[in-house]
Amino acid sequence: MDYLYFPGCTLYTKAKNFDQTARNCSLLLGFELKELPNWTCCGATFPLATDNLMALLPPARILASAREQGTVLTTLCAVCFNVIKRTNRLFQEDGEKRDKINNFIEKNYQGDLRVVHYLEILKQEVGFPQLKERVKRPLTGLRAAPYYGCMLLRPFEEMEFDDKERPTIFEGFLEALGAKVVEFPYKIECCGSFQSVGSPDVATECAYKILGSAMKNGAEVVVSTCPMCTFNIDHKQSDIKQKYLDFKTIPVLYFTQLLGIAMGLDHRTLGFEQNFVDPLPLLKGKGLV
Amino acid sequence: MESVVETVKTGTSFLEEAKRRSGEDLSLCYQCLKCTAGCPTAPFMDVRPNNLIRMIQMGRKEEVLGSSAIWLCVSCETCGTRCPNKIDIGVLMDALREMAIEEGIPAKERNIHLLHEAFVQSIKRGGRVHEATMLIDYKLRSRDFLTDLIPGMMLFLKGKIPLFPSFIKGREEIKRIFEKCEKK
Repeated sequence: MDYLYFPGCTLYTKAKNFDQTARNCSLLLGFELKELPNWTCCGATFPLATDNLMALLPPARILASAREQGTVLTTLCAVCFNVIKRTNRLFQEDGEKRDKINNFIEKNYQGDLRVVHYLEILKQEVGFPQLKERVKRPLTGLRAAPYYGCMLLRPFEEMEFDDKERPTIFEGFLEALGAKVVEFPYKIECCGSFQSVGSPDVATECAYKILGSAMKNGAEVVVSTCPMCTFNIDHKQSDIKQKYLDFKTIPVLYFTQLLGIAMGLDHRTLGFEQNFVDPLPLLKGKGLV
Repeated sequence: MESVVETVKTGTSFLEEAKRRSGEDLSLCYQCLKCTAGCPTAPFMDVRPNNLIRMIQMGRKEEVLGSSAIWLCVSCETCGTRCPNKIDIGVLMDALREMAIEEGIPAKERNIHLLHEAFVQSIKRGGRVHEATMLIDYKLRSRDFLTDLIPGMMLFLKGKIPLFPSFIKGREEIKRIFEKCEKK
């Protein structure tokens, strides 16, 4: 089956490696990501104020144009997923706003699209047991910490993604790849989000807590689903090091990069040069590349 | 005596306004502090989320709308997820930011407001966010040229930030949608 695919701005720039690995892996797993034509930015935050319709226009336009092409839309970036899924829900539940927004964007979208995350395709359509059978290079001995962040999970009534405090989908995925899953208490904590621009100290502190907690519990690599989180917990490691002298860096990978290794892709196609902390020494040590 | 009555009056109107704008029943808060305990940015706020609700109940409008707290909230929704009274403080924070802008109260965390503006401008321009031009725009607005200069250069050198923005077809459509919505 093919899926309509909304990449999002960051996957064309800062997180090309996320986009490329996901596309390549999907072909190996028997489905294709069909990119939406002429997509715009999703707006990057779901407006919480009840009267802010403007921020809903970009995701609404994306949904309406996706519905013209098919019935299931998928994303990789956790932020885009959050914004698009919640907007879709609003279209299903609030007729008045739906009509107003349709009028603004000159479309007639009724909310009848299914929005799924790539991880959900792996779990529900491919299936973790089947994924395990197709792994060519099991990540045996790699201690990986799944970092969910906020956007996949919250608000849980609207996202309907996983348990609000103890999610398991990411763990199931890593186990299917043969990795050793590291439990750590900060796996659903916020990375500080856009504060990394306005108030960098806030984001550095958040990242320090998350990475410190993962390492204390034995992680060798932190796995992410979100380019925003990855910016804060990967690139901010240079700032953390300046502030906390005893801090040791740890590689942060997108989950699709690990999937790529496990599916036997050549490591030169996995975009490790875009990762701030070089994961190659670790992966070589484990015999995975 | 008169002044006491007056305080109560203004107090209620701010509480009512905040309730109406956010759609959250702020009277239900009994100060269990779960919101503040889970908040990633609370250690940096001048007023913690639980105190903010109490201050709204007491009608301390200027202090609430002038706080750094409303600008440090990143809508991670941990507070709302854990509130036993189902008060979604993330929604409240968004409503308070709007009220602050409408009242002309300058953002205590000025740079965050400027970043939001630079971001929207970037979408208006090309349909997609282009980090390099957006960050230059932000730097010009905030006049803060040195912070993040080195990480920015590193990103650039690693090929993470392309030099030129990619424009989508249908930019006219985006422009029209923005204009229509701004007029309302």
